[in-house]
Amino acid sequence: MTQVKKIFPYLVSVLAAFLVVGILLWVLKFNPLKAFETLLFTSFRTPNGFIQTLLKWIPLTLCALALTVPMSAGKFNIGAEGQMLVGAIGAAAVGIIGKDLPIGLLLPLVILAGTAAGALWGLVAAWLLYQFNINEILSTVLLNFISFSLVDFVATGPWRDPAAGHPTTVAIGEGGFLPMLVKNPPLHSGIIIAIIVAIAVYYFTSKTTAGYELVVTGANPRASKVHGIDVRKMFLFSLVLGAACAGLAGAIEVSGVHHRLIEGLHSNFATLGIIIGLMARGKNSAVPVVAFFISILEVGGSAMQRTVMVPVQIVLIAEALILIFILLSDIIKRRQK
Amino acid sequence: MSGIESTITDFLKLTFLSMVPFVLASQGTMLGGRTGVFSVAQEGIMLIGAAVGFLVSYITGSNLVGALAAMLVGGLFGLILAYFTTTLKMDQFVVGLALFFIGTGLSSLLPKIVIGVTLTPPLVPTLPEIPIPLLSRIPILGPVLFKQNILVYFSILISIALWYALYRTNLGLSMRSVGENPKAADALGINVVSNRYITTIIGGMLMGLAGAYLPMVYTGTFTDLMTKGRGWIAIALTFFGAWSPLPILFGSLFFAAIEVLSFRFQVGSSIIPYQFLTMLPYIATIVVMIFTFGKSRVPSFLGQNYDRERRTL
Repeated sequence: MTQVKKIFPYLVSVLAAFLVVGILLWVLKFNPLKAFETLLFTSFRTPNGFIQTLLKWIPLTLCALALTVPMSAGKFNIGAEGQMLVGAIGAAAVGIIGKDLPIGLLLPLVILAGTAAGALWGLVAAWLLYQFNINEILSTVLLNFISFSLVDFVATGPWRDPAAGHPTTVAIGEGGFLPMLVKNPPLHSGIIIAIIVAIAVYYFTSKTTAGYELVVTGANPRASKVHGIDVRKMFLFSLVLGAACAGLAGAIEVSGVHHRLIEGLHSNFATLGIIIGLMARGKNSAVPVVAFFISILEVGGSAMQRTVMVPVQIVLIAEALILIFILLSDIIKRRQK
Repeated sequence: MSGIESTITDFLKLTFLSMVPFVLASQGTMLGGRTGVFSVAQEGIMLIGAAVGFLVSYITGSNLVGALAAMLVGGLFGLILAYFTTTLKMDQFVVGLALFFIGTGLSSLLPKIVIGVTLTPPLVPTLPEIPIPLLSRIPILGPVLFKQNILVYFSILISIALWYALYRTNLGLSMRSVGENPKAADALGINVVSNRYITTIIGGMLMGLAGAYLPMVYTGTFTDLMTKGRGWIAIALTFFGAWSPLPILFGSLFFAAIEVLSFRFQVGSSIIPYQFLTMLPYIATIVVMIFTFGKSRVPSFLGQNYDRERRTL
């Protein structure tokens, strides 16, 4: 019963958002039922659809954790986009420089370099907060814009692939490719890394002392300070940890999907990560489930654009509406008490 | 006019021209913040303002109607922000972010629905220069200050008007008190809720207009994500301007100058890779924040909702 009670507001929120979007579609003279059918079931109709969904789930989960981990400590990381991109740069750089190394060596190096680069990018914002008390929302967003230019610089610099029409680097060494779990349609082993990270984050924040300090800081920074927790260090640490997740997402995109740095490889993962994290109300354990749901909508959304000709942007609006309705359900709950 | 003089005149003129979106968005942020509502939806509201402003002026053929429509939509976003935070007491950052996403999504969707995909971009006429008689003939100062489009004049006038309203009228005094100490303001009979609604709605209108300026002055058309972070920079600028109208006006000039310089160097120089010049405005913003955050005066109740029934603040 309690489980049902927990899920109920989510269901109502999704339904309400679909109702609003349905009316919007109907006004725009699309067939809402056909659109929704495509949106919800594309992931489950073909093996390819399902694998596409899993492939989206990987960066979405990691980018959402990039928001929820700092949020556990009460900080907002809006910079997963930049952290993911800088992570991708780091991974590609190591993959290109060490392209002759064997897989046993190069693959871990590529993944670690990406994670570390993402963490470093997060550290910039974290340090600005620690040292100068600069609002992390602003600094992380501004660092996003800087990272776009960085990617452009690397992808059009000495490593650029002259054969590609779009800013792209040459491929990383084959030793840096993530092995495939399924050959056709392709599913790389990055999904295992993402699952491990999601579990590790959950374990860390709910079962360890350091993780507990982090969560307590978020719940009540003043009380935590009184009890001897260095609150500002916790902020710093949480932001860097979140950024490492986003950096890992970038590394996995390079090592598992593109095998090179491509401008625009961040897609809309970071934006969706924020929506997912907020929908999960900052709960690390809820992130993988919500991320899976959003992956279904994303895969369905692009199919909807192809077959029913509904612009894909409608999905982002639907997702933002779901978020607002979930937040509203909190208010209703509060009023009932 | 000698070469160097005309270069300086051009640079200053462009700086005043580019200051407008910063001034409007930042004064909008300041206004809401002064009563305690901290919006982080600027980027989204500017984008939806740009899209609506462009589309309405394209359809009606009137930039004025387009600008008014952009303000209307911006005001609507402000109203939603005020309702969710002031009435429903939801977290201001979370609501602001949700509105940022909705604004971004809608701005990208609307042109595709209304106009569709076209080979050549649909254009609206850009705002004409309106020289002010006599004054525009002063050397350097004339073309820089008095030979600009109407929104340059408007952004300067609104900044002065806001300064006057906030610091020289009773209305402004009660607004400021709501942001500093809502409990005390409430006890004095000042309506906290209506003050927050009004400032947040007007703030949203200014942000919408700030967005509409981009297609109407720079490009003549709407492109996805055309605000390029100006909404976020406006927040930093508001801190830089200590949440006060006149310093914000001068701060906007500074940010506009960096934007113009970064663009100028990209065209002119080949020594520094252009990517590092595109970074310039964002890096400058961060550097400015280092020197102003923590030191600048911030409304005490910024970002916090006021609950009458709570005992402690």
